[in-house]
Amino acid sequence: MRQKSPFLYCGKKLLSFLLSVFLLSVAVFYAARLAPGDPLVSYYGDRAEKMTSQERAWAEARLGLDQPIYVQYARWLENAARGDFGISYKYKMDVAEVIAARLPNTLILGGISFVLIFTGALVLGALCVWNEGKWLDRFICKVGTVVSCIPEFWLSLVLILVFAVLLRWLPSSGAYTIGGGGVADRAAHLALPLAVAVAGHLWYYAYMIRNKLLEEVRADYVLLAKSKGLGSRAVLLRHCLRGVMPTYLSLMAISVPHILGGTYIIETVFSYPGIGTLSYESARYQDYNLLMLLCLLSGGLVIFCNILAQMINERIDPRMRSEEPPEVSDRE
Amino acid sequence: MNDQFILVGARTPLPPPAKKEPWYRGKPVVSMAILAAVALGCLCCELFIPKDPAYMDLFHGSEAPNAEFWFGTDTMGRDIFSMIWYGGRVSLLIGFLSTAISTVLAILFGAASGLAPRWLDALLMRLTEIFLSIPSLLLIVLLQSILGKASVVSLSLVIGVTGWTSVAKVVRSEVRQLRSSEYVLASRCMGAGFFHILRRHLAPNFFSSILFMVVMNVRSAIAAESTLSFIGLGLPLEVISWGSMLSLSEKALLSGAWWIILIPGAFLVVTLLCVTEIGNWLRGEGDRRASNL
Repeated sequence: MRQKSPFLYCGKKLLSFLLSVFLLSVAVFYAARLAPGDPLVSYYGDRAEKMTSQERAWAEARLGLDQPIYVQYARWLENAARGDFGISYKYKMDVAEVIAARLPNTLILGGISFVLIFTGALVLGALCVWNEGKWLDRFICKVGTVVSCIPEFWLSLVLILVFAVLLRWLPSSGAYTIGGGGVADRAAHLALPLAVAVAGHLWYYAYMIRNKLLEEVRADYVLLAKSKGLGSRAVLLRHCLRGVMPTYLSLMAISVPHILGGTYIIETVFSYPGIGTLSYESARYQDYNLLMLLCLLSGGLVIFCNILAQMINERIDPRMRSEEPPEVSDRE
Repeated sequence: MNDQFILVGARTPLPPPAKKEPWYRGKPVVSMAILAAVALGCLCCELFIPKDPAYMDLFHGSEAPNAEFWFGTDTMGRDIFSMIWYGGRVSLLIGFLSTAISTVLAILFGAASGLAPRWLDALLMRLTEIFLSIPSLLLIVLLQSILGKASVVSLSLVIGVTGWTSVAKVVRSEVRQLRSSEYVLASRCMGAGFFHILRRHLAPNFFSSILFMVVMNVRSAIAAESTLSFIGLGLPLEVISWGSMLSLSEKALLSGAWWIILIPGAFLVVTLLCVTEIGNWLRGEGDRRASNL
């Protein structure tokens, strides 16, 4: 076993993080600019279509769009390093401000659903294992399979149909009533998107935890603990749950992009003013600067979480360490 | 663990004659039957659909289910019953086509990465990670705008290209385990090329472990088609599919026309559920020792 200094280890991880983010930014930059579409339309609106070629050239020069892409990228990188990500073509504001106005909405939706999903998954997983093979376990599994098959947008539609159109209990779109709205108002607007976000992911993680726990309760230490006189419940809650914690943590890290991606769709259906709707708009209408920062934010988060999950896994299972890849001859 | 004493020389009692299991035991028969019925109905829909699915009957817009229109009509006056069977073709086709694309990509990439030297493998895997870190919705918007107007083929391509990574990872780790086994080495020594080794030695070995994921990819591709068409990134209204039918549902919500939302969605969900059941069956249950708890 090689010993490594933790400093070197973290440095290496940091370096790979930065490199990944850099490559990501190059890829998105090129992809966005090579995609057909006219960024001037998002800046000048319909006027862009009536411009003379002279006016167009002037406008492109003003936005820096007349240069080759690598020059544009270099300039973008230079400004970004100083914390200036440019202005949004559509909103005519600093992109950071545009995003800052929307970010809390997505964070609230994503954050609360994240917490609910992972507490729910742990509780459901433990319940299933406690009642393994009995009707409760089978029932939860069945419901989970069915719910996991329902596309999120359709579940949203059905919920809107029932709770907003037929019963008129909850609002169907937005994040708050324009003009007014306290906590109760926000909660009412949040209820349906949150329900969809949780329902869409809960089962998958509960199932993962259930499977891991099922392996865990078959371990020999459970026999030992029971023969020392510990009750089944105590063994499950105090020992087995602790045993699956590492898996649980790395699941949490890996889940971030999935939950984030899910909220994108949900935001679109509920016209919820968050990062998801913003990303969709910016990609659709060639709002380059906005798109770049959004991609970097979400992509950076995802890469960070991947590295985190990898680090957790490496700590648990030294065989996963990339420095010592599992050479095949001595497998199991 | 709990080994029994074995008496040397004693005759082992004959095992009790195994009871013949009925052939359907443990198989998702219901799901298979429903899926077969849906697929068959979609393929042969010309034989029994009462109306032209694309015909817009302007006098009968948004009608609730009745004797003439069994499942009602949509906001443009098309018969939903006919559209479901006709549009199911497109949805199922996209499911299979994009799964085929993603599987081929995944196997090629995974096998190449698994057989490559360590630095190249690390590089390829890092690239996969970067690819994964682009939010798939953005990737789809970008790809769509590069490919131009959405059609069945372009949409399958987009879904396939965005959905190969998880299978590729499994293929890679399986290949890394297999690469130094004797038969692969022998084959290499005799000068076999990449594709020969892949086809004759690697694929048969990792096939069973990706089969379940591939089936699940069919499910997510069908779901992705409907989601994309719904938010306006997929098929246009004229190309009838379950997704494009559901893209009318925002208008339907306002008028409370539940049949436009619920009926195509129910078909979609039932199909997805059947595919999932079959996938779960393929995954198998692994070893089932008794719990120690």
